[in-house]
Formats: sequence, C-alpha cells, structure tokens
Amino acid sequence: MAKNQGDSDAFTGPWRLVLVMALVSVLLAMFFLWRVDNTRMERLRMGLIDQVAPAIHWAAAPITWANNVARDFQSYSRLYEQNQQLREELRQMKAWKEAALQLEQKNARLLDLNKVRLDPRLTHLTGIVLADSGSPFRQSVLINAGARDGVMDGWAAMDGLGLVGRISGVGEKTSRVILLTDNNSRLPVVVQPSGQRAILSGDNSPLPPLDFIENPDALRAGDLVFSSADGGVFPAGLAVGKVVVQADKRLRVRLEADMNRLEYLRIMRSRPMEAINDAGALVRPNLPVQGPPAPDQIAP
Amino acid sequence: MIDPVTRSLWIYRLTFFAIANAILFWHLLPLSHDAGRLPGPNWMLALAFAWVMRRQDYAPIWLIAIVILIEDFLMMRPPGLWTALVVVACEFIRMRSVLMRELNFVAEWALISGLMLGIVLVYRIIFAITFLPQVSFGFALVQVLWSIAAYPLVVFVTRYVLALHKPSMGEVDAYGRRF
Repeated sequence: MAKNQGDSDAFTGPWRLVLVMALVSVLLAMFFLWRVDNTRMERLRMGLIDQVAPAIHWAAAPITWANNVARDFQSYSRLYEQNQQLREELRQMKAWKEAALQLEQKNARLLDLNKVRLDPRLTHLTGIVLADSGSPFRQSVLINAGARDGVMDGWAAMDGLGLVGRISGVGEKTSRVILLTDNNSRLPVVVQPSGQRAILSGDNSPLPPLDFIENPDALRAGDLVFSSADGGVFPAGLAVGKVVVQADKRLRVRLEADMNRLEYLRIMRSRPMEAINDAGALVRPNLPVQGPPAPDQIAP
Repeated sequence: MIDPVTRSLWIYRLTFFAIANAILFWHLLPLSHDAGRLPGPNWMLALAFAWVMRRQDYAPIWLIAIVILIEDFLMMRPPGLWTALVVVACEFIRMRSVLMRELNFVAEWALISGLMLGIVLVYRIIFAITFLPQVSFGFALVQVLWSIAAYPLVVFVTRYVLALHKPSMGEVDAYGRRF
C-alpha cells in the first residue's frame, strides 16, 4: 500500500506541473490575444456581462433599495436646514423662471427671424443603471439598453444635468458606459466663453483634468465646459461642467452630472456627420481633364 | 450512497464557489460611483490564498482559475493575466503547504504578504511592457496593504466559521492517501 502510494505521488507530481503550466500558458495566451485583437475579446466579455447583469439587477433590488432608504434617512437629521435652503433656492428659481420664459420667447423669435434649422435627429432613449464596474480602478456602469434598442458604441450618456460618459461595449440587452472620470476616458471639449479647445482626460479622480489646452491663460475658474464635435461622432454642445483650479495649478473640471447617484441615464442618439467629399458641380464642373494624360492611363 | 469524505470535499468546493460569487455580486452592486475613493482589500485573492494554504483539495487550481477568470471578465481587467498570476501564486503556496503546516500563523502571513505584493508588482510590470494604461502605484499599493490587513480576518472566518483547518497528522484524503 505504502509503495503504491509513493508511486502515485511520483506519477501525479510531474503531470500536475505540466497541466498547471498548460493552464498558465492558455491564460497568458488569452491575455496576449486580448492585447492584439481587443474587439473580439471585448465582444466576448460583453456577451458574458449580458448574461450576468440582468440577474444582478433583479437580485440587487432589495439591497439598493435599503441603501437608498438609509441614505435618505440620514438626510432627516438636517431637515430644518434643508427646508430653509430649499425655500431660498425656490425664491431664486422663480426669478430665473421669469427670465427664462422671456429668453425663450426672444430666442424663438430670433430663430424664426434667421430661419435657423435645428438638428432634428438628436433624440434620446433612457436606460436604468444595472451594475457598477466592480473595481475601484475602473469607472463605468452597466445600463439596461443594448443592441436591441439600437444603442451603438460612442454615443453620449447624460443624466438630467450633464454629460456622464460614453457607450463603450454593447451587448444584446445591456451596454457599458465609460464614465468621464475613468482612466481611459478622453473627450474633446470646448470651454466657453473663450472658445478654447481641450481634451478632458479622466484620471480616476472626481475632478478630471483638462489637457492640450491651446492657451491656458485664457481660462478662468467657473468657465463652462461643453462637448465639442471634434471627434466626429460625439454631438457638440452637451454640458459637461465648470472649470476649477486646483492647488497644483492644474485646470480641472467639476462635472455637472451627479456622479454619486446615477440611476437613469439618457443616451443621446447621434449619427456620424455626413462627409462632404465631392467638389460641387458649380465650383468645378465634371469636364474631361485637359493636358497630358494621367500616368496610370499611359500604361498599355 | 456517497461516502462522507467525497461529500464534504464537494460541499467545500461548492462553498468556495458560492463565497466567490457573493464577493463578485457585492462588488457589482450599483451603490456608489465615487471616483478617487480608496480601494478596499482584494477579498477574492485573500480567500483563494487562505483556502489553498489550508486544504488545497477543497480549492483545486481549476476552480480558482475559473473563479478568477470570471472576475477578470466582469471587472474589466485584461482577461487572463491576473488569473495566470494567481494560479502561479497558488501553485507556489501548494508546493510549500507541507512546510507551512509546521509553521505558525505569523510565518504564513509573511509569506502571503510577500506573494500579494509580488504578483501586483509583476502585474504592473507586464502592464508597463505591453503599454497598457494603469492606475497610480500608490493606489494599487493601498489595495495590497488592505488585502494583507484583511487576510487574518479571512483566515479567522475560514477556520472558525467554516471549520476549515490545515490537515492534522495522519488525516487521509478521498483516495486514502495521507496528506
């Protein structure tokens, strides 16, 4: 018996090592495949998430509900302050509402006067946040709208107030929104009123910094930041946030969206802009080319 | 009738799988989206190490590979790399488990701390070699320190709640072999 046992250990020992090495090689091969051919692996990942996320939403409902109740309960302790604050804000809002109504009428008149045509195709659909990214190093959420709702990669996601992120990864029933605060997020923006263009690059902090600013001196704290159409896919003019200056003199953006409580996201449908690639018949009529024939026409 | 040794083996394997799934589920809950929040411990890693250190047959290498690979996919990590490192680390512990049975918990903790730090360093080096964007080193280090701090807690729960301990002298496995 004891002899048998020794034999079997000697037998499983080396084989086990070979099997483990094979397993590690397969896993490393998977990683390098992901590095080289990212889209296919990401599609696989979205497929898996597509299976898991709706189940999580269903199971998580009571826990998220309890969490929200607890959070709301905490706010009871300062009910009086909050009430005063809300009254104050309401008073201000009434004044603003009056101003807004007047401006709206004025704007409508001016648009009518100028025959401005608004983009009729910028419509939206709304998705519910299903799950978190899970890792403290990644900032993204899953929503319950996917390819069957016509969602496409690169579309903008907003909450009621401002831009939240963009769609990156679409499954059949779910899709992933990479938040502006994620390490991998880069967004072309324009800062008003100076009109400076910059890139908002997420760095996993709550205030993403502005990079590649043409003239940093032209920016002030409090300037408004909007998305720009420089990327070609992203709709321009969506509110992003306000410029703030940190102690390290870096210009950062305080996001307009309430990143703490993402519940419903508005996905803006956008189409790539039509490219203008013909010269236009009036500018250059389609006449036969004069002069010597082009080199590729000389060849027999 | 299944014999009790085999049954407890599969019960413990299922328990491992269930705990791992519970950890994943907890991570995916949409409770808070604050960016820049300091990361907590890597519970999954501590769990895998604690189980392999105690009873490697209850947490076989294929089960660990499956669980960590699912974690890789769901947590938006590059699939496969972290899993490969954890598998190698678990193999390393397994090969030393006979020796570790003789030593006390402090020695075990030191070994685990070294391993946790080591695989995170290798992970980051491979990230740098393949030009992948990664989080700042301090941020990753905070998670390693938390994981090291959380390890005794995981061991405590494993030992006294799940009654999973290092095999004592003369204990036999399902095939009647001694450990």
